Amino acid sequence: MPVFALIDGNSFYCSAERAFAPELRGVPLVVLSNNDGCAIARTTEAKALGIKMGEPWHLALRRPACKQVEWRSSNYPLYGDMSRRMYEVLAARVPQVEPYSIDEMFLDLTGLPDLENFCRRLRDDVRRLAKIPTCVGIGPTKTIAKLANRIAKDDYTLHGVCDLRDPATRATCYAQSPLSMVWGIGGKTAEKLNKLGITSIADFVRLAPEQVRELLTVTGARVQAELRGQSCIPLTLMPPPRQAIAVTRSFGRLVTSWGELREAVAAFATRAAEKLRTDGLQAGHLSVFAHTNPHNGDAWYSASRAAQIEPTADTLTLITEAVRLLRTIWRPNFRYFKAGIMLGDFAPAQKQSRLFSTRDAVKSARAMAALDAVNARFGSGTLRPAATGMIKTWAGRQARHSPRYTTRAEEMLIAKAF
Amino acid sequence: MNYNGGNTTGFASPAGDNLEGRIDLAAMLDLSRPSRYPVRVAGDALASRGIFAGDILIADAASPPAHGKVAVVMLNGAVLVGQLAYRQQQWWLASGVEGTAPIAVAGDDAEIWAVVTGLIRTQV
Repeated sequence: MPVFALIDGNSFYCSAERAFAPELRGVPLVVLSNNDGCAIARTTEAKALGIKMGEPWHLALRRPACKQVEWRSSNYPLYGDMSRRMYEVLAARVPQVEPYSIDEMFLDLTGLPDLENFCRRLRDDVRRLAKIPTCVGIGPTKTIAKLANRIAKDDYTLHGVCDLRDPATRATCYAQSPLSMVWGIGGKTAEKLNKLGITSIADFVRLAPEQVRELLTVTGARVQAELRGQSCIPLTLMPPPRQAIAVTRSFGRLVTSWGELREAVAAFATRAAEKLRTDGLQAGHLSVFAHTNPHNGDAWYSASRAAQIEPTADTLTLITEAVRLLRTIWRPNFRYFKAGIMLGDFAPAQKQSRLFSTRDAVKSARAMAALDAVNARFGSGTLRPAATGMIKTWAGRQARHSPRYTTRAEEMLIAKAF
Repeated sequence: MNYNGGNTTGFASPAGDNLEGRIDLAAMLDLSRPSRYPVRVAGDALASRGIFAGDILIADAASPPAHGKVAVVMLNGAVLVGQLAYRQQQWWLASGVEGTAPIAVAGDDAEIWAVVTGLIRTQV
């Protein structure tokens, strides 16, 4: 019988901040989204104050209780590196690890003896070496492991590990747990089933598989089979191929001038081109959009434009194309709130020029390799097109960005000699 | 051309079959290990241990704490580096400055964060 586990970092972004900042331990802490807009990670102390996931931070600050809450802007270079550390600690101890998201990893524990103690040691090692506290859920399928993880998180008497391999334990848990707790059952689906009187996981598991397929198609049937202990979803050890690359941002300050909007879109194109080259791809389709703020009472304007382009991964070409499209949708006298670019129609990068090509592919590839090498060595953004702007007035607010402790030499953790 | 000591144009280089890669200090320090963190020193209190302000410590959370080792310690909200001592069944942080009393690494807000395994000084 296969055995899966899901290990996930408790309030991962907050834990990554706390790893290097002891003054943040034991106090309520939230990490905010890009632009310092919404709370996207909360410690238990912050949750206890009623701060909700995704809650706009300027609204939360109106509550007196939230004034004492520590907050940080999101520091993705740090979180990415701490996630890498968590993965590597696990990969050295477990046969197979699937990095499912930045803070969740599925493990294949099939055939390992004394699993509960093994998982406790895993937790201790991740905590000690990668500095991230975690919870572990164990089960015969990924869906059950995910549910067990959720229970381990909610019930502190389990000390971070919940094992749902035993069918009797599972039956008790299913009877007490709402269907909406299940991975793969969305809010709408749960609502639809609730109307039919199916509210607990036990109700759902009891249904005839044919009925589930009728109600929720084959996807729902797979969730039910997994909950019944029949493993249908194997570990995925390769990320799926990219279908699209999107780089979009809401602006820190509303953008009114053509120059600023053009700079922002040029910067998005630069980032999108970097992602393309990391994956060794060229894009043949490009789209650009911009819109005003739908919530602040401003006049509403939203437009997008797409075009087929000669396949490329060249930053300068993509900027030129993106700005050309942007010019067609630009209207003056609006306050732009958000913009973005999307690339699609991917093909593997070509080393030689194509027949009828209008550009020198070899020269471009060499220029881009040099650009990427400089930025890899001296830090992202060291060398960038002038079109992306020097001042970046449009850039997001990041008022409380913690140091990039592990990725920038000038931002290392500082210890006071005693 | 990219000359490496072996690829001569006229006489064949006698070193051609014996070329080795240069010493890679980054590999020796092995900072890519998930348990290793670089830490910058502030202050000269550990001068007696040969550790000065501005030094970069290689702190390894996988290295077990031991009496006499230098370690990065998180204590009552501060990040400190000092010498570990084990006495009376508990860990203490001993100061590098004579006459300064050691402090106990104990309580809710105390953690031996990582043991220092190496040091880099870029300016001597």
